[in-house]
Amino acid sequence: MPWITKDSGTINIDRRDEPYLNDTLVAEIRDKYLPRYERKAGALLPALHLVQHQYGWIPHQAMVEIAKLLDMAPADVIDTASFYEEYWLKPKGKHVVAVCRSIACEFCGQPELTDAVREHLGVDVGETTDDNEFTIIELECLGSCGTAPVMLVDHDLYENVKPEQVAEILTKAKAANAH
Amino acid sequence: MGKTAYDGTPRHLLCKRIPTPPFGDWNDRHYVDYDEYVATGGYVALRKSLAQSPDAVTQEVKKAVVRGRGGAGFPAGVKWTFLPPVPEGKAPGDPGAERYLAVNADESEPGTFKDRLLMEFDPHQLLEGIAICCHACGLNKAYIFIRGEYYLQAERLERALAEAYEKGIFGEKCVQNSDANSGGGPRFRVDCYVHRGAGAYICGEETALLEAIEGKRGYPRIKPPFPAVEGLFGRPTVINNVETLCHLTLIMDEGAEAFMAQGVESTIGGPPSYGTKLMGMSGHVERPGCYEFELGIPLRLFVEEHCGGMRNGKAFKAAIPGGVSMGILGTDQYDAELDFDIGRKYDVLGLGTACPTVFDEDTDMVAVARNISRFYKHESCGQCTPCREGSGWLYQLLCRLTDGDARAKDLDLTLELAESMGSMPGTTICGLADGNNFAMRTIIQKFRSEFEAKLKPAFVTATVGAS
Repeated sequence: MPWITKDSGTINIDRRDEPYLNDTLVAEIRDKYLPRYERKAGALLPALHLVQHQYGWIPHQAMVEIAKLLDMAPADVIDTASFYEEYWLKPKGKHVVAVCRSIACEFCGQPELTDAVREHLGVDVGETTDDNEFTIIELECLGSCGTAPVMLVDHDLYENVKPEQVAEILTKAKAANAH
Repeated sequence: MGKTAYDGTPRHLLCKRIPTPPFGDWNDRHYVDYDEYVATGGYVALRKSLAQSPDAVTQEVKKAVVRGRGGAGFPAGVKWTFLPPVPEGKAPGDPGAERYLAVNADESEPGTFKDRLLMEFDPHQLLEGIAICCHACGLNKAYIFIRGEYYLQAERLERALAEAYEKGIFGEKCVQNSDANSGGGPRFRVDCYVHRGAGAYICGEETALLEAIEGKRGYPRIKPPFPAVEGLFGRPTVINNVETLCHLTLIMDEGAEAFMAQGVESTIGGPPSYGTKLMGMSGHVERPGCYEFELGIPLRLFVEEHCGGMRNGKAFKAAIPGGVSMGILGTDQYDAELDFDIGRKYDVLGLGTACPTVFDEDTDMVAVARNISRFYKHESCGQCTPCREGSGWLYQLLCRLTDGDARAKDLDLTLELAESMGSMPGTTICGLADGNNFAMRTIIQKFRSEFEAKLKPAFVTATVGAS
């Protein structure tokens, strides 16, 4: 729901001395992405992806830094970032478990799958476990309806998932490095 | 003149290198790299098109009537002719003469999973299509806008792109900029990039997609100006679906006739449905998955013969022809042919992406409607009030129906609300609300008794003995 009002740019920004956009990230945005677009703002989505990949979420300070790098107003960066569902503007767990809830999945066993994930982790959809390892979310169509129900754990898609496989999949994800 | 009905013989054009039943086993699917692609006849079509003038290529594509595979079914060749000519004395890409191609790989429509197959296993086919399109229309940069959740597919595309750059398909020494470009077209550098989205269904709408590449919120633009004139960064832009571009390889390799030999003519006097189509079957069938068939295959034949029939021997109840926006086919419409006539013949919005979702007799259609309305509530971008508010209201009404708290007037209100939103009634900018509108309307029209059964009984005051 991108139109639900999210925290705006007027809230206090937690500052830290060390910039979020370190030299490697700046170099990657400047050398790899900026030349691709006629206007600098074109590199915004890739830049946000990079920051999220590095820190797991996109802190406000990082958005201000991106704005400076791309010659944009910080408000414009927040405007864009708050529209897209995939960008986390608040910290999340180390791993994200996204269960698809769209048409094919819902009628091929998604409710049972969500229940199994919920039960295994002990938290509800939209919540993060106490040890900060997992966040559960439900997403609209993940584009693998032929193998419903599906679930995306970090960057890996699991197809035809049965509720009894959840424990094994999540244990494996926990052992692997977070993205 | 082509056929008027599907002749029952499966043919694979897009899935030549992607094993797909009945010719192959999908467990054998693997990434086709540059060498394997070239060894199996790849990049021949590109060289053949470069030997022709851009105009000749456009005319060939126009002749083949490649109707857009992204859902709207607009002929690709016609779309290309809307582009203004390159300014005189300039080549595409010169300052002031930038021209773009935006490839729509934002496959987010529930029920649809066809482009992922092409990008995951045979991305060079797409890259070749892109290079042909860039030659035909004089486009110097191509952006493949891929949805954020397709991590593996984006990786594979990057890998294929790296190979293509190395082999001189794109980049400074690209084919357009070399002696291979002998058909009289201008010489210029062509670049191709992957641009990842970030989880917004609306970015599949062509102008919202452009906004997303420009780094803005994915709000659809008011048209005109159309993207062909003022698109990405205000430049002339072509927007095509992944599958549409992949079809160019066959057309330029074997000619428009080879493409037109597949598929069917319209039986109701409309434009023809030529070519094959990737069709992703999902729902309650024995063997769901992505298949390739000629357009015009009847849904019953598809399910019974190729997907092993309905799951657990249940009976067919309903199907969505191609993505939830298209509305629903009723129980008596099992024989519907999957071609571009379907909209007018079977009272749905259209063929959409031709990826059917099939429901068996045990399915609760009210729950289906609720799921669909939740999707639209979630994905409305919020720009136009009828869609933003209406989709939320529809969802609330359907929740009330599923909970058994609804009265008869709520059902009429649902219909009235649905009919008032969309670009067809003229109340919204883009067609997202039309999808919502059609889904709700067709599902209530075709399964009204199920909705009525969920209504709360009305209390009627009866006075005994009154006359």
